[in-house]
Amino acid sequence: MISLVLASLTIALTQPEVDQIVKDLDDRQRNSGDYKALVFLEQKEKDKNDLVYEGVVYRRDEDDKLMILMLKPKSEAGKGYLRLDKNLFMYDPTVGKWERRTERERIGGTDSRRADYDESRLAEEYVTKFVAEETLGKYPVYLLELKSKPGVDVAYPVQKIWVDKATGNMLKRQELALSGRLMRTSYYPKWDKMFSKSKGADIYFPREIRIFDEVEKGNSTTVVLREVDLNALEANIFTKAWLESKSR
Amino acid sequence: MKMYLLIAARNLVQARRRTLLIGSALGMVTMLLVLLLALSQALTDTMIASATTLQTGHVNVAGWFKAKPADSAPLIGKTAELRKIVEENTPGLDYVIDRGRGWARMVTDTGATQVALSGIDPKEEQVFFSRIQIADGDPQKLSEPGSILIFESQAKALNAKIGDTVTLTVEMYNGNRNTADATIIAIAKDVGFMSSWNSYIPKDTIRLLYGLSEDTSGAVMVYLKDVEKSAETMKILRDVFEKKGFTLNEHDPQPFFMKFETIAGEDWVGQRLDITTWNDEVSYLNWITMALDSISIFLTAILGGIIAVGIMNSMWISVRERTQEIGTLRAIGMGKSRILGMFMMEATLLGLAATGIGALAGVLIAVLVDAADLVVPVAMRVILMSDTLNFSIRPGQIVTAMILFTICTILAAMWPAWRASRLQPVTAIQSVT
Repeated sequence: MISLVLASLTIALTQPEVDQIVKDLDDRQRNSGDYKALVFLEQKEKDKNDLVYEGVVYRRDEDDKLMILMLKPKSEAGKGYLRLDKNLFMYDPTVGKWERRTERERIGGTDSRRADYDESRLAEEYVTKFVAEETLGKYPVYLLELKSKPGVDVAYPVQKIWVDKATGNMLKRQELALSGRLMRTSYYPKWDKMFSKSKGADIYFPREIRIFDEVEKGNSTTVVLREVDLNALEANIFTKAWLESKSR
Repeated sequence: MKMYLLIAARNLVQARRRTLLIGSALGMVTMLLVLLLALSQALTDTMIASATTLQTGHVNVAGWFKAKPADSAPLIGKTAELRKIVEENTPGLDYVIDRGRGWARMVTDTGATQVALSGIDPKEEQVFFSRIQIADGDPQKLSEPGSILIFESQAKALNAKIGDTVTLTVEMYNGNRNTADATIIAIAKDVGFMSSWNSYIPKDTIRLLYGLSEDTSGAVMVYLKDVEKSAETMKILRDVFEKKGFTLNEHDPQPFFMKFETIAGEDWVGQRLDITTWNDEVSYLNWITMALDSISIFLTAILGGIIAVGIMNSMWISVRERTQEIGTLRAIGMGKSRILGMFMMEATLLGLAATGIGALAGVLIAVLVDAADLVVPVAMRVILMSDTLNFSIRPGQIVTAMILFTICTILAAMWPAWRASRLQPVTAIQSVT
């Protein structure tokens, strides 16, 4: 009875408030300089052995550039992804060829996508709507629904995100197809922060992302970020030539 | 003539058991032939309808582009100019469109399949939309970039529905691979088994996938008011394009996707046109109608032979039973030719009546089964090129079946009738049956 009364007293956020939440969520993760992180990916698939990958993620958020270079296992070493001008290219050193890939590309064959490693652009790519205030575990959260803006190329046109009221970080995300089919559920159990000299403020990043495939039940990927470094990277790092040189 | 007819009818009625037996057999084999011809016609009709709806015009002005001698890209440039030439020079033209062509691996989160992609402009494909039945969605949304129309069988294989995204991966003509995402905006009901490998995307998406310019396409598809004029129209267009200075390949009656290696092996560069008919583009399916026709011919020949033996036997018995009658008729002045004519009339009447009834039964069964839309097993769908059992009746089939077996009856009766006409009156009268 009390909860019903309390629920009836909950006031929906205004649109400007909702937009600000999402903008802040993006800003907290964006760096004005460079970014580098060592990542470990553990891929679990039903009835198959678990696979573990090690790679490095490089970002230059000012120029919307991203590179992922796989280091281990040996069979994957040298493979990489490069995002230039909103195009994602994949390099395979065994054939020496670049292939253009889409936003839905499974990074390393895992359930993770390019957007999981890149800066958050939710405010830029989506229109947000307030749904409710909820509790996720012991954390009070805002549940927001996002729909992609027309003409914007995203992996999932519909998202639901649970944003921690206290910290403003995302704790859970569900990604859906336009048909309404639930495609992935991701959890962000640990967030960390680091001071960025170029930004003059802290930047936040998830230490761990747990991604569950909602289509192929039983499949999941855990992404763990280590050794985050915000120092400047080489000027020519975001080029095809640089990535190719890593496999020679 | 009327007298012979009456005599023939009387004789047939008098030996009713024999008449019924032979007549039934004749009728059944005629019915079988009518059904087989109707099935074969339905196959051909389905092939034309499916093919000209999904992947080919009645005539196609397509071509090959080779940047290097070893290339073989099924592309045409200057598409607007080619369309204009077609529109100005095609007699009996109904309408013209152009479509991009591609081959892609279509992947979802639950499955993958290979598809032949057609790049279309919904504004000029209203005939196509009227021929397919939409199960879900709105095909007009193919005007939106990044959209795709698939068929029910593909949606089932991929466990996909409207709003789901598929990833299309192609091998470009420079050897690189490219991908694009597309959202399913419409799912159409299957149009025969060809639906399982055809999908439709906007022209711009196919150009994006293959890195093509605005004026490049796969084929200009020409639709005529009379599909029977396809071969003739192809010849006319070949002459027209040659006179206008275009280089054409020799006519090769194969679908374009079976010509890649041949073209790659040819030592030339640049652009050449390749003009084909719908029949060429589905020639890889002709074996199905040929096989069915061969089986029909074989079966009817065997059955026809058996029937002929039966008819001959029956006529021999009839001659023997009526030996005294023949003798009497000869004795009162009936000539040999008239005796022959009498027996031949009997055979003709039996043939016409039995084949007529058999053909009618065949038509009735064909019409009823066709209307019932019986679903066939999956294994049969490849052969029948349809999900349902169809028959297509043409008057020519009925006439063919009737004439064929009536002639068969007449020929079978000829020898006994000739022998009957040669009986000596004295011998015939004196014979004891």
